[in-house]
Amino acid sequence: MKILIIEDEIELLIAESNYLTKEGYVCEMAENFQKAGEKISIYEYDIILLDITLPDGNGLELFKTVKKYNVKAGVIIISAKNSLDDKIIGLDLGADDYMTKPFQLSELNSRIKAVLRRRQFDGSNIITFNEISLNTDSKAININGNDISFTKKEYDLLLYFIVNKNRVLTKEAIAEHLWEDNIDLADNFDFIYTHLNNIRKKIKSAGGKDYIKTIYGMGYKLGEL
Amino acid sequence: MKFLSKINRNYFFLLLIIMIIVSVAGYFILQFIILDDARENLTQNEALIINQIIKTGEIPNIHPIVEITRINNKTVKESSFKEINMPYEGEEETFLEYSNQVKIKDSFYQITLRETTFEKDNLVILLAMSFIVLLTASFGISFFVSKKMNKTIWVDFESNLEEIENFSLSGESSLSFIQTDIEEFDRLNTVINKLTKKLKSDFVSLKEFTESASHEIQTPLAVVLLNLEEVLQQDLNKDTFEKVIASINAIKRLSNLNKSLILMTKIENNQFKADNLVSISDLFKHKIDEYSTLFESKKLNTEINIDQDFGLRINEQIADILINNLLSNAIKHNFEGGKIQIYINKNEFRICNTGEDHFLTNDNIFNRFVKGNPGSYGLGLSIVKKICESQNLNIQYEKKELHCFIIKSN
Repeated sequence: MKILIIEDEIELLIAESNYLTKEGYVCEMAENFQKAGEKISIYEYDIILLDITLPDGNGLELFKTVKKYNVKAGVIIISAKNSLDDKIIGLDLGADDYMTKPFQLSELNSRIKAVLRRRQFDGSNIITFNEISLNTDSKAININGNDISFTKKEYDLLLYFIVNKNRVLTKEAIAEHLWEDNIDLADNFDFIYTHLNNIRKKIKSAGGKDYIKTIYGMGYKLGEL
Repeated sequence: MKFLSKINRNYFFLLLIIMIIVSVAGYFILQFIILDDARENLTQNEALIINQIIKTGEIPNIHPIVEITRINNKTVKESSFKEINMPYEGEEETFLEYSNQVKIKDSFYQITLRETTFEKDNLVILLAMSFIVLLTASFGISFFVSKKMNKTIWVDFESNLEEIENFSLSGESSLSFIQTDIEEFDRLNTVINKLTKKLKSDFVSLKEFTESASHEIQTPLAVVLLNLEEVLQQDLNKDTFEKVIASINAIKRLSNLNKSLILMTKIENNQFKADNLVSISDLFKHKIDEYSTLFESKKLNTEINIDQDFGLRINEQIADILINNLLSNAIKHNFEGGKIQIYINKNEFRICNTGEDHFLTNDNIFNRFVKGNPGSYGLGLSIVKKICESQNLNIQYEKKELHCFIIKSN
């Protein structure tokens, strides 16, 4: 999978690129409008991460180039502005998703995976982790061959864990993923514990193993036992 | 007070003062003229009577206006005038009396001539009458004329005023005034046009400034956050892990604070277009469903009583934030096993929750950075208040058995 990261803040560009490379993507970087335009018109990408505030042009203008040379690419807008107008314009132009800075890498990863799934680049709508498999079309969860019913939030949470397997996820990151910016709960994240308990119970009742580890009571990680 | 009433009132008082001065002066002037005229008449009459006596030798006597008596000697040197009151045709009348002693053909005569003059009372009544008639007539005329003019002269002004009333800084349209043929109005229009253009450009640059300031702040925060998140993936001991998490949370807090402040500025600037009719009961039901896990984890009992739906023409995103913040507040400041009650009717909706007692009141609970507990930002309710203000809603906080927020349409 090839990703083009367009971002004018070099530090951020490098951090994103390092992380995504580690996750197994091939990353290319463009730090300004002109370079981004050139790359889009020459190479093919699966995902384009687009910062719309660039020093030498409005990132939204790059959509024209994408439409012309890189129709297959999924575009995720990354903006510092939490501006609804930009979001609507971006999504209207054909962006697949919209994220605001600052975001967490685990969130970026899960959004990229979601776009890839939607665009069917993986050719499959089934995500499997050992005995657990998730159907991303029907949002059904199957453990050891049995369909187990999960609530929407529980499904989202399990998917988030599996997409970000072997990564430490903080309670805050999980809360933000589940609720976006909608809820200002400050330091009360008890509900994540409730969610996780429900998930663990359901997996256990279907004969699955508990892959989610608690790290010092402040973070969680899904990984092989 | 309307401009016209103000003008009319001032005009009326001015007229009143002028009329009083004119009447008082008029009284004295009239009195002087009438008396002067009477004096002249009397002296002329005297000359005529003397001529008559010389020619015919007859002494005329017409009571009470001409009285001539022969006297033996001249006792008074000069003629004199005086005003006297005497009965005449059954009424007390005021006369101007002229008396003189003259010598005609070696005889002395006492001539007394009288002429009725205006009585003072009559003069005052006459003046007062004309005063009242003039005052009412001129005031009445000016009142009707200005009222009539109001319909013609002010009509353009009124429509221009309406244009200004409907003007919104965040809107696309600019002001377009009707050209009036009155210099002052056109001057006002030019000034307002200039002013709004300046305001609009200031508004746009302020908006751009807040947005780019937010951009500039969020980007370095993103760099810090991403790097800390990477550090977190390494094998850390508990102490370091806790420190990294604390740093991540502080960065997030800063970023959320920044976002909330920008949101507040946007609401204050009316940058959200009210484009949808939102059903508050549907929104609450939807949110309660979405938050079910949150209620569950705190063992909260939620009740929603809908008498009639509360409809609101509002931007959907803003409505969402409003209900979110109210619900988050009710969850956050609740205790385990507490309850949340929501009542909705046509004119108001209220959300009540159990919770610890605190020192905040209706006067300060909505202020920025005022916190009920140390974990919160102290912005959630300020945003709620700002939204209510921008939507012309009235919000009240009541602390009785439960903590209640009551939102009413004005």
